[in-house]
Amino acid sequence: MDELELLKKNWKKQEDVLPKLTYQQIYQMILKKSSSIVRWIFIISILEFLLWASLDVVFRLNGMHAKLQKGSIESFGTITTVVYYSILIYFIVRFYLNYKKIETTDSAKVLMNNILKTRKTVRHYIWVNIGFFAFIMMATVGYIIFFTDEFQSQALGNQPPVWLIVVSTLLITLVFVVLIALFYRVIYGIFTRRLQRNYKALEKIDL
Amino acid sequence: MNKELEHSFVASLEQNQNIVHKVCRIYTSDSDSHNDLFQEITIQLWKAYPKFRGDAKFSTWMYRVALNTAITLYRKSKRAIKTSDLDTVNFKIKLEEYDDEVEEQLKLMYAAVKQLNDIEKALVFLYLEDKSYREISETMGISEVNARVKMNRVKTKLKKILNP
Repeated sequence: MDELELLKKNWKKQEDVLPKLTYQQIYQMILKKSSSIVRWIFIISILEFLLWASLDVVFRLNGMHAKLQKGSIESFGTITTVVYYSILIYFIVRFYLNYKKIETTDSAKVLMNNILKTRKTVRHYIWVNIGFFAFIMMATVGYIIFFTDEFQSQALGNQPPVWLIVVSTLLITLVFVVLIALFYRVIYGIFTRRLQRNYKALEKIDL
Repeated sequence: MNKELEHSFVASLEQNQNIVHKVCRIYTSDSDSHNDLFQEITIQLWKAYPKFRGDAKFSTWMYRVALNTAITLYRKSKRAIKTSDLDTVNFKIKLEEYDDEVEEQLKLMYAAVKQLNDIEKALVFLYLEDKSYREISETMGISEVNARVKMNRVKTKLKKILNP
């Protein structure tokens, strides 16, 4: 193609007119903070940990947790705490390993793949958390309905029907799950939409 | 020790800064985003520098990090590119030695390259830099044959943009 060859010839000549930065200017640059996608994904994932950790604290403070801990169900509470923290530790390790694996000196395809994998880990983390939250919520409500004395011994007229409690719990959980899912789609979508497009383009070349 | 590393890095980058400027030229359309991308590439190069072993040439290593940053790590501002920007900023290249017709052709060519996607731009850039298909395939992570096939498709695409 003639035009491209013409451009190629001219391409070499343009070197004289390219900007020339001084040693000092370049030195200043390496002191600045990166704004790369990976950095943002990492920051957001740390914020997520904080969000979920604070939810856990709220959960404990508002007494729901204490109720669970009481009486015969104490071992259940201990088990869920252990499970929850194992999950947390597992994901912290995964995040760290993923972050370490991202190297700008990989080929473009490998690099993009690693970033998308990081994002997948974040997504798994979110779903595991949502699932865990939903499970705890159900278990708590179930426990309150069927096992606590206060609920059982209430006068028959005062007692709301069981199905109403179950349905409303389900609804609340559902709304919560949808909101969180939407929130993450927007946040991570912003960062990885173009990346995904580029990765697909590369994949199409290499099919 | 750290000072020494800083010095050797900044000095090497100062010497080879043309490569980064040229990547910025392909991927951005105004001087603000040019500087933005240049800075991000510099930071990424600096972050990766301790792992640079010197078994490749500094410039070869730079190509990879710079392109990776442009394609993968850098988030362009969503600002729409106005054609006036294209005319004024991007084609400030001195072309005195060419006649008007050649100059016009080059302008159109630059504008056409701007319409390609990130991956295609990377291929064109490496092609303009006179890289072999083996180097292109290593940088992009695709096979040599596919790099060749894709480059031919990009040429066809450019032709179509130029002669609709």
